[in-house]
Amino acid sequence: MKIALVGNQNSGKSTLFNQLTGMNQKIGNWPGVTLEQKTGIIIGTQHEIIDLPGIYSLSSYSLEEKISKDFLLKNKIDLIINVVDVTSIERGLYLTTQLMDLDIKVIVALNMVDRLKQHGMTLNTQKLRNMLETDICMISALKGNGIKELINLISNSHIHKFNKIKIFPRNVEEIIFNLENRLNQTKNKRFYAVEMLINNKTNLKFITNKIENLYKMDITEVIITFRYEFINKICKECITKTNTKTNITLILDKLFLNKYLAIPIFVVIMFLMYFLSIGIVGNLTNEFSKNIFDNINSYTINLLINLGVSDWIVSLICDGIIIGVGSILSFLPQIIMLFTCISILETTGYMSRITFVLDKIFIKLGLSGKVLIPLIIGTGCSVPAIMSTKIMEKEYDRKVSSIITPFIPCSAKLPIIALFTSYFYHDNYAVIATSFYFIAILIIIIISLIIKKISNQKITSTYITELPEYRFPNLKLTFKNVYDRVKEFIKKAGTVIFLSSIITWFLLSFSTKFEYCTNIEKSILAFIGQKLSWFFYPIVGVNSWQVAVSAIQGLIAKEQVVSSLEIISGLSNDAKNISEIFSNGSPFAFFDKASSYAFITFNLFSLPCFAALATLKKELNNTKIFMIMIIFQTLIAWAFSSSIFNILKFFTR
Amino acid sequence: MKLSELKVNQSARILKVDILDSNLKIHILEMGMTKGTTIKILNIAPLGDPISIAIRGYELAIRKEDANHILVEVIS
Repeated sequence: MKIALVGNQNSGKSTLFNQLTGMNQKIGNWPGVTLEQKTGIIIGTQHEIIDLPGIYSLSSYSLEEKISKDFLLKNKIDLIINVVDVTSIERGLYLTTQLMDLDIKVIVALNMVDRLKQHGMTLNTQKLRNMLETDICMISALKGNGIKELINLISNSHIHKFNKIKIFPRNVEEIIFNLENRLNQTKNKRFYAVEMLINNKTNLKFITNKIENLYKMDITEVIITFRYEFINKICKECITKTNTKTNITLILDKLFLNKYLAIPIFVVIMFLMYFLSIGIVGNLTNEFSKNIFDNINSYTINLLINLGVSDWIVSLICDGIIIGVGSILSFLPQIIMLFTCISILETTGYMSRITFVLDKIFIKLGLSGKVLIPLIIGTGCSVPAIMSTKIMEKEYDRKVSSIITPFIPCSAKLPIIALFTSYFYHDNYAVIATSFYFIAILIIIIISLIIKKISNQKITSTYITELPEYRFPNLKLTFKNVYDRVKEFIKKAGTVIFLSSIITWFLLSFSTKFEYCTNIEKSILAFIGQKLSWFFYPIVGVNSWQVAVSAIQGLIAKEQVVSSLEIISGLSNDAKNISEIFSNGSPFAFFDKASSYAFITFNLFSLPCFAALATLKKELNNTKIFMIMIIFQTLIAWAFSSSIFNILKFFTR
Repeated sequence: MKLSELKVNQSARILKVDILDSNLKIHILEMGMTKGTTIKILNIAPLGDPISIAIRGYELAIRKEDANHILVEVIS
């Protein structure tokens, strides 16, 4: 069987998907768009289940709604599992009744039943089952309750018959029936007919006129209002409200949305997040992890020399691979901390409050407050961040936010920040490191304003969004989120960085005549770097081919900048110790406060890595805009970092 | 009265969603703002816009510009 999992945003759909499939998941893309599509096999069965994006209706207001609708209409789906958050059942059932207009059997999974009591509600499931005329299962996806029963229902679903329920008044149902008979489609006729009525096309006026006059509403309003009337009737029959306990969300909102405190709280939370990841965790673990890799390195050298392995292999393994990959893996603790913080912001419900608090600022930039979500996710990685722009309804918002997202320093750029600031700004390490995020915000504002000016169209961004209830961060869910991202990071270190380190070592250890040489000044990479070093002269104040090749390698992956710096300094002198990268004798000894700050700035705001560029190109779907953006971004980074260098140089003289 | 003119904690009943952009109108109606629905203003963002309302058992945020086109009658 092929099963579609459909439900509102925040309905716990993804949690249920994880419960149903366990580790048996495949992550791909929806055709034509950069939106994650998860498929899996339900535990203990052969049934394939597809996790559709979180949606409120099938009316294609947002891209996610359109993708979901097209998927349900154009594929052969045997069954829909509709997740409904029982605490906001009215809105959830709107989608349910829409799904029931399709020619696909629907099983309703009522989620978060454990929270009913807290909301002072009791639910008569038998009555609900009778009124919806379909199978219902009470579950708590988070706690794993009711999952077995749900799988049983799924496996036996072919036995049960399902009826199309007529939810509208008879005169409206007659119109729908009439329309159905005029349609060419053979399947999902009722859905198409209702959709035509909602869209209120003028060529239907001769049919709808009478009804519109009778109810004093246009046909769009008639359809949506009567759908909700039916839901009201269900809720009246099946739900009894007892006294409600004080709602935690209301209390927390008094604080987090407070007129005077909201913005300071936001700034403090963001600051804490980076301070914790880069500052505290960084300081605690930097020395420790560096020592580990230094030890591994010297141990390997001894071992290989004792084994009588030739010099160049020792150099390849130790100077190339271990230093290259190790310098990245040593930042793992910071990256785990950062992804944990982002995941907590997302799952607690605070992320949508941030968009609510700051939306007004974005009106001025012609954008929606939801732009903040990709920006915050982008501090982790640009690729999922660009993908998350799908939550915005307007194409303009999606495009602009995918353009500005790569300017936010991602976790791969974090090693660059950490490496330089911890050495040159030892006392104000965390403050200086955090300052880069504020520069990023400044650049983003400037770029948004420029795009708004040149795009020259009347922008009508909107902001209509659900503010979900606050939830306590769920340990299991957070762990899964962080695990997925960290796995990606390690995979990258083991593949891309591994290969790049070997190539870097090769280009540094062989001369232009392809002879092995230990003087890297004569290496192929030095030759290439010398041709390009002029570009970096205004940023670091020195003509250094080493700086040029390191910065350019950032295109492969931003972590590679640090790897390359380490490999070059390691091969240049006997310093095998990472902390000696800026000491006398190293080609990077010329770095000082001004040039290190400027060099970080350039790396943060120049082109993102290839993976992010590929996602961006797909997202923009316009080669011309993409190319302009690439050139534009490099120029901005260059102009910005060289001005910073010269200004700082002037003041520190 | 307009939805945008209500104060925090005021309750009202929706009379009409009077929005020209048909896609936006459908979206707002589908989020539950049909005629006769009771709503209550929960929060106004610190910068004065957007506002959030309790509707059909959940909290919905909407900009004042859109709330300007939603007509309501005050209950309390």
